[in-house]
Amino acid sequence: MYPFWEVPFFTSGIVIALIATFHILPCHLATGAFWFLVYVERKAVQEGRRELMEFVKRYSMLILIFCFVIGSLSGVGIWYAATVASPRGISGLIHNYVWGWATEWVFFVIEIASIYVYYYTLGKIDDKSHLMLGWLYAWAAWISMIIITGILAFMLSSGKWIETGGFFDGFFNQTYWPQLLTRTAFMFGIAGVYAIIVASRLKNRAVGHELIRTASIWGIAGMIGGALFGLWYLFSMPEHAKELGLQGGLPYLKHMLWAAGVCYAVVLAWFFLCGLVRPKLAGPVSAIFILFILFLGIGAGEGFREGVRRPYIIDQYMYSNQIIAHDLPAKGVVSEIEKYQEAGFWNSLYFRPENCDLETKSGRMQAGRLIALYQCGNCHALDRFGKMRPLPTLLQNIAPESPEDIADFMDALGDYPFMPPFAGDDKDKAAIAEYLFSIIRR
Amino acid sequence: MELQTYLNNMMDPAGLPFYPLVFQVLLVLTFALHITMINLVLGSTFVAIWEVGKKTTYSLRLAKALGRVITVGLSIAIVLGVAPLLFVQVIYDPYWYTATTMSAFWAMLFLLVVTVAFYAAYGFYLGNRQADTDTVSVRWAWISLLMLLVAGLFIHMLTMEQLEPQMWKKWLIGQHGVVSVAGGEFHGISLGRLLHFFIGSLAVTGVFMMLYHWYFRDRADYDPGYLEYVSKTGVKLAFWSLFPAIGAGFWWLGTVPDGFHFASNPFFLAGAIMGVCTTAYIGTASEKPAEKAIFSALALFVTIFIMCCAREGLRMDYTGAHGYSIFNYRVNPDWPSTILFFATFLAGLYVLCFPAIAAFKAGKAPKGQVVSLDPSLGKTAVGVMVAWFAVVAALGLFVSLKNGVLF
Ligand code: HEC
Repeated sequence: MYPFWEVPFFTSGIVIALIATFHILPCHLATGAFWFLVYVERKAVQEGRRELMEFVKRYSMLILIFCFVIGSLSGVGIWYAATVASPRGISGLIHNYVWGWATEWVFFVIEIASIYVYYYTLGKIDDKSHLMLGWLYAWAAWISMIIITGILAFMLSSGKWIETGGFFDGFFNQTYWPQLLTRTAFMFGIAGVYAIIVASRLKNRAVGHELIRTASIWGIAGMIGGALFGLWYLFSMPEHAKELGLQGGLPYLKHMLWAAGVCYAVVLAWFFLCGLVRPKLAGPVSAIFILFILFLGIGAGEGFREGVRRPYIIDQYMYSNQIIAHDLPAKGVVSEIEKYQEAGFWNSLYFRPENCDLETKSGRMQAGRLIALYQCGNCHALDRFGKMRPLPTLLQNIAPESPEDIADFMDALGDYPFMPPFAGDDKDKAAIAEYLFSIIRR
Repeated sequence: MELQTYLNNMMDPAGLPFYPLVFQVLLVLTFALHITMINLVLGSTFVAIWEVGKKTTYSLRLAKALGRVITVGLSIAIVLGVAPLLFVQVIYDPYWYTATTMSAFWAMLFLLVVTVAFYAAYGFYLGNRQADTDTVSVRWAWISLLMLLVAGLFIHMLTMEQLEPQMWKKWLIGQHGVVSVAGGEFHGISLGRLLHFFIGSLAVTGVFMMLYHWYFRDRADYDPGYLEYVSKTGVKLAFWSLFPAIGAGFWWLGTVPDGFHFASNPFFLAGAIMGVCTTAYIGTASEKPAEKAIFSALALFVTIFIMCCAREGLRMDYTGAHGYSIFNYRVNPDWPSTILFFATFLAGLYVLCFPAIAAFKAGKAPKGQVVSLDPSLGKTAVGVMVAWFAVVAALGLFVSLKNGVLF
């Protein structure tokens, strides 16, 4: 195991979730916006409507500064956060999908080249070529979504990969297509919101209102498509995920889905009211409000997607606590649960003090805390007033009367559909039990 | 547990999807591109501030032009940086992940620092875009420079920590025998190495300024005096900064363990000789810098590239000292995805020609003139993208139907 990074009260999972939510807005804008932009630019060129170019210029500026700064940095940010929260998880993904990411990187390079050239050659090269630059960006950005969705979907449903270890067997899995289509549709919704914001600031009010109407039609179409494909996505999830997410296995996931649904309805209503019916209402205030709603909705939706994956970080392959769950003969990988149950988890750690003696109480307390961090810390805070499923409170509900009760509870941990089994021998168990017993809220 | 056992245990159990040498070559190549861009950004920020201080018409104009270079350059540098970040995790995962988790706090702070640097750079660029030539504000540029230096320091630290695995346990467990989980480790700064890179940034920017003159020399709406000023300043900067850069390089060399015999490493020798030759060549360019710009840039990039190879050799020395070798990695070749990448890579190079040509030609035309490009250029570039999509979608449908996951 690599060293562990503890984020007090919140767990490192929250750090990832926050950065990821910040990433989704700009990155879906980056993938969706240029389709709308090219549509408007084409109209301007073909119908000779130069006044539309003002919008083209401003919209691409927004995409450049907002998407490329926040988008690329938060993208790298998710990666860093995932690395420090779950290094073996990200390592597992990378060692199977490195060529996927490398391929995506080629499209990143094309994206950045074409967006800058697009922006800086506006009005400097012939219309047709300029339009082609727009198309180039639109395709490159959408293809980067096509690729990353495969890896995201793989984490929830690894499909035939667990038997064959084949790149594409894991990539094109049961949740891939519905997820790709859902994201594709919603990206038009997000692009629509931003387009309305930009259009509402245009000096030429008539053009602004016309564009607001068009953008809201795109947005509404995207939202409706997204909902339909989203339903398909829910149906396509593995049984286990459905039990957790839809049938109340983990009640909070249902609440998240509800929250996402409410946000969805608000955005849709906003498109109708401030877009189609009364474009005048679409000013900066309502825009910031709707961005906030989008942010919440996306956070809830992605949180749901991450949540139903439990207890795995990579479906069937690796648990959220970085322990390999099942054999993968195709790549010569063996499950680690048995290994730790036989050889002991504490004994297998490299980063542990040599002089820590499990025969003494203080030794067991120290070892117990570290074992708890490794095995539970990705999902639970250990602090008394922790915000993320704090163990002191959760354990209080079970009301154990002695450390032995907790040790017994450890044996049953794997029976919960959302928790990995405890990976350790009796000594580990005694240590973690004694430690956990000491932190229970009383 | 022995350190060597730890390092070998932590190699990802899934093995590599292709041969380690291929990842290593890609790592070095993409790192060289990334670091050159970072050098340019860092050096340009410094030069911009310097030039504003000179307060002449030319120097202020140059500073503003560099403002754009910084913003565009930084975003390109970030995108280019994704690739080496990926490949290093593929073959040096035990090192990379240990250092990053030990120093998790700094790794996260690094992101914040880069974000601030980026927006500050935009603040400098946009804030001075329309202003009159005699009022250029450098407040944002200072912030950007500071943040870039701090970001460089953090990444340097993360790299250096990886080279001293024998220290990891001591750092993390400390004297009281308690394992730290705060992610706050910060060790291993090597000033020579850091300065070698920081000063090298000025040389890269200097050569860039020579290229600037070369590129704009045909534009009628550019004052020749201004262009002359830029390239002459550039050539001086490049020449005089290469000396201290090389000096810092030797300082760094002095801190490398003797046992590696690094001074006789062929890549290092080639890089050092190439560096000296490049310096001498740039020295001869002071009269007509624009004419020798292309060759200077090539020579400098080759030097950087060879030095990146030497750097990788050094890493192999450090990791080899503890019995780690990327060539011991188990390989489970995955041909389909390997082909996907290399085919995409080649196609991507072709596609990139289109924006490259468009930018090159548009930039050479005087203000107000609209450049016409060969329409087939853009059409084939976009065509390649559509074809890529069609092939992958067909493959995806085939795999999905074969595995019965679609319905
Ligand atoms: C994959 C993430 C994950 C890991 C790892 C994990 N848990 Fe949980 N645990 C959960 C979730 C999710 C819940 C449900 C919380 C809720 O209902 O709000 C939960 C609930 C619990 C509960 C309350 C059970 C109940 O019936 O009320 C306890 C106690 C608990 N976990 C202990 C642990 C311990 C001890 C470990 C480490 C050995 C651990 N968990 C590891 C995700 C995890």
